[in-house]
Amino acid sequence: MRFFRCSLAVAALFAAALPAAAQQVQVYQLPAGAYPHDVAPAPDGKMWYAAQKHGAIGIFDPKTGEAREVKLGPKSAPHGVITGPDGAAWLTDGGQNAIVRFDPKTEEIKVWKLPEDTGYTNLNTAAFDKDGIHWFTGQNGIYGRLDPKSGEVKVFKAPKGRGPYGITATPDGEVYYVSLAGSFLGKIDRATGETTVIEPPTPNQGARRVWSDSKGRLWVSEWNSGNLSMHDPKDGSWKAWRLPGEKPRNYAVYVDERDVVWMTDWGADAVLSFDPKTEKFASFPMSAKGANVRQILGRPGEVWFPESGTDRLMVIRTGATQ
Amino acid sequence: MTMLAVAALFSCEAARAAGDPARGERAFQYCYSCHTVDPNEKATLQGPNLVGIVGRRIAAQEGFEYSPALRAFAREHGAWSEDLLDRYVADPETVVPKTTMAFRGVEEADERADLIAYLKAQPKP
Repeated sequence: MRFFRCSLAVAALFAAALPAAAQQVQVYQLPAGAYPHDVAPAPDGKMWYAAQKHGAIGIFDPKTGEAREVKLGPKSAPHGVITGPDGAAWLTDGGQNAIVRFDPKTEEIKVWKLPEDTGYTNLNTAAFDKDGIHWFTGQNGIYGRLDPKSGEVKVFKAPKGRGPYGITATPDGEVYYVSLAGSFLGKIDRATGETTVIEPPTPNQGARRVWSDSKGRLWVSEWNSGNLSMHDPKDGSWKAWRLPGEKPRNYAVYVDERDVVWMTDWGADAVLSFDPKTEKFASFPMSAKGANVRQILGRPGEVWFPESGTDRLMVIRTGATQ
Repeated sequence: MTMLAVAALFSCEAARAAGDPARGERAFQYCYSCHTVDPNEKATLQGPNLVGIVGRRIAAQEGFEYSPALRAFAREHGAWSEDLLDRYVADPETVVPKTTMAFRGVEEADERADLIAYLKAQPKP
């Protein structure tokens, strides 16, 4: 295990160009080379980040601006990090081909390797269902489940092969994932593990990530098409909106507690918010060109963006609490 | 010092020469989610097709949007030699800073040798 500290190097408040007066943008520098891929809010107010190129979980304290990192194991290269129902950090660690749990109180690290015959799966992202089962995707063409109580890991082959990427749980605990190379939204039957493919109306859209709003509607960031799309499982409908700009590339998507949709456009080096009520986009610049934000997550009143290209975390404080 | 460097270089070349394409197919799983070696691949993947990559001009697949970093690297280095590919696969970010390829690299030299042997063995169209 290795620890180091990094003090706050960048803390900028941008008052201009914000669509709502209450919103503030702040940027924090992380240890050089950390390559924060994903981020998740820790229960104590800190932020966790997957330090992919350090093979570590990062623990960042917004109050002090200090970050430290805890190594996850040999060859570790975590892609995703989420907060589990147990208050621990759960990482999808492509380097170890394993699911990793980090206990914030004891700092114990527990590793569940995928079955040996699975081979390298390029583990991507995870979500918990309503029964506490941990579901994960692997971009090489798999998805799977881990029962934290028994430790049993099951792996399933994805329809259309390679591509499983973002994954989310709806408020009623159902689990959906998207396939980047397969360009589909999939619903997992949590009992059998089977996937029902839900084809979007835009062919070859390149579904990168997916997030549920409070009504259980699925919002999808489409990399190839540059669209934001939404599927409503209640009536089977789809809607899509083209991101502004000449050549948008929609990477990450997240829906906040007000059902405002957030996404990152690599074509414009910008963060966008989208209000489903008005169907209007608002744009926020990332901290630098090539910031490469690959995921978004937050807590009420805060939306966090890990900048893998600059080793920074950016936060937008929305001024909302619910 | 020179002798050591030569020995290290020889050792590196020897390791690559011993690369096993059959084992390399397993190593290719590191690349598989974003790359193909199928010249007829229909899926839109996030990385370029690797058919004939050894010896190919860098950042030269028609229609593929390479990062500015890789395009600049191509202007400097020209083509993918085995040595250059080996260095890149070992540590992409160090060899091409700001590359958008989100991959930490393959640490073991023999595994990289297997991978390169596999890539070389793939039939060209």
